[in-house]
Amino acid sequence: MTALLSAEWTRLAATRLWLWGLLAALGSGALIGLLALVGPENFNPPLPGLATEQGTRVLLGLLGFTVFAPALLGTVAVAAEYRHRTITTTTLFAPRRWTWLAAKLTVYTGAGLVYGVVASAVAGGALFGAAALKGVTLGLPTWTIVAFLARIALTMAVYTLLGVAMGALLRNQVTALAVVGAYFYLVETTLMLIPGVKLVYPYLPGGATAALTGFTYLADAIADQTGASASELLSAPAGGAVLVGYALVAAVMAVAAPLRRDIA
Amino acid sequence: MNIEVRGLTKTYGPVTAVSELSFDVPPGAVTGFLGPNGAGKTTTMRMMLGLVTPTAGTALFGGRRYADLPAPSAAVGAVLDSAGFHPAHTAGDHLRVYARMGRYGAARAARVAELTGVSAFAGRLTRALSTGMRQRLNLATALLGDPQALLLDEPGNGLDPEGTAWLRRFLRELAAEGRTVLVSSHVLGEVEHLADHAVVIREGRLVSTGPLRELYGPAAVLVRSPQAERFAAALARDGIRVEHEPPGVLRVHGLDAAEVAAAATAQGIALHEITSERPTLEQAFLHLTGGSR
Repeated sequence: MTALLSAEWTRLAATRLWLWGLLAALGSGALIGLLALVGPENFNPPLPGLATEQGTRVLLGLLGFTVFAPALLGTVAVAAEYRHRTITTTTLFAPRRWTWLAAKLTVYTGAGLVYGVVASAVAGGALFGAAALKGVTLGLPTWTIVAFLARIALTMAVYTLLGVAMGALLRNQVTALAVVGAYFYLVETTLMLIPGVKLVYPYLPGGATAALTGFTYLADAIADQTGASASELLSAPAGGAVLVGYALVAAVMAVAAPLRRDIA
Repeated sequence: MNIEVRGLTKTYGPVTAVSELSFDVPPGAVTGFLGPNGAGKTTTMRMMLGLVTPTAGTALFGGRRYADLPAPSAAVGAVLDSAGFHPAHTAGDHLRVYARMGRYGAARAARVAELTGVSAFAGRLTRALSTGMRQRLNLATALLGDPQALLLDEPGNGLDPEGTAWLRRFLRELAAEGRTVLVSSHVLGEVEHLADHAVVIREGRLVSTGPLRELYGPAAVLVRSPQAERFAAALARDGIRVEHEPPGVLRVHGLDAAEVAAAATAQGIALHEITSERPTLEQAFLHLTGGSR
């Protein structure tokens, strides 16, 4: 397994994908810094400023929206094996196909964590920097902000795992990206309109993500719209476990079905 | 390492691609795996390597299935047409990834690159490689584990004449070292001076297997004579098959040159030319796989 891990790492490091990943991580962190510098009070429509709890939460929440980026990179990386037909050689070198999928899941989850740490560190640094420049104190205690940033970094790692698993399951880059994107931006929101689905929301990927990142826009919005009380989200570790569970289900399905198929 | 194929069968719905195929590939020799396009050569090789699951049958390498070998890439190397490369990797990157995967080390990657001529373009992105270079890189990857058996699917595709000659020498050397080499081809010129044995298939079924020489069948004798018509009639009376070629030339079957000469002398017929004609492998192949002839 160490040989497979080291091979996957070599494969990743030899392409420019890691560079794009690093740029995306730096970029998403820097974007939060730019928004902090502009100040939520100058947004259109205006939002509470940096010095308020709400204003700080808005900026951290925006970073939370970028957790898809490392997931997409993971999907692209694993689907590339099929697209460029290196799958033949990889399977010849590791005929038990689950072994190389496990190696990919491990390496890319690690890479996703690095991505998350970079993005969160840059965003955190920029947030505090912008506050200092403007001479205001952020609306949340420092340790709370650091905890939020750490949770976002962790979510990014889990999402990368999910992205790799979905890539292995669906094999086609475009299909995988479309399925993941459509689910989060369309399907889950629509499902919430069905009475009763709200009860299982904490266990759906979106609800588990909200539990892990600590941002509950969707749950709050639904509570506002329906006038009902917001769904009780899982604890952060439980939300993380649910997401890892989804990734493992996708990975197991990938090993059970697509990886068993004949390689043309 | 002996390769035993037993009863390999692959059906896709109602279509049978390979049907109860059995043959042996001995070590220390090059075996040609021959058949027209669509005969099932590629599917057979993919089944042997576990890339395609057989409907029935097995392929054993030294008594084990490919996936059950303790170190598959160190036992069997495979050069397959469909194997690709990441376009953003250089040829050297590709070798290093798989050297890691098989634990062969960077020195071994450099060594096979040198052996196969890949070192000349190791720094080039794989998307910029010619077909011949891709074949060499595939071969280099297959050799990383210094395998005892080598399976090559149409390795001559895209090679220039110089490359083809090089590959022929290279594979003969590998076989001379005691390795088992199986080379598929539909171009017979490629294997005529390469293979010792041949396995011929058509429509997924075994047509013939054995020493390549035996594929040729009996030789014919070409005879040029001013009395060709009379000679042909005399031979035909003895039940000997004779074909008429351009005026004055006969192709005589079932006799060797000495027997033809003796028959001519007995009939008092003058011969201007007498030539043993070995059929080309192409003719033998058409004869074996053509069905109608």
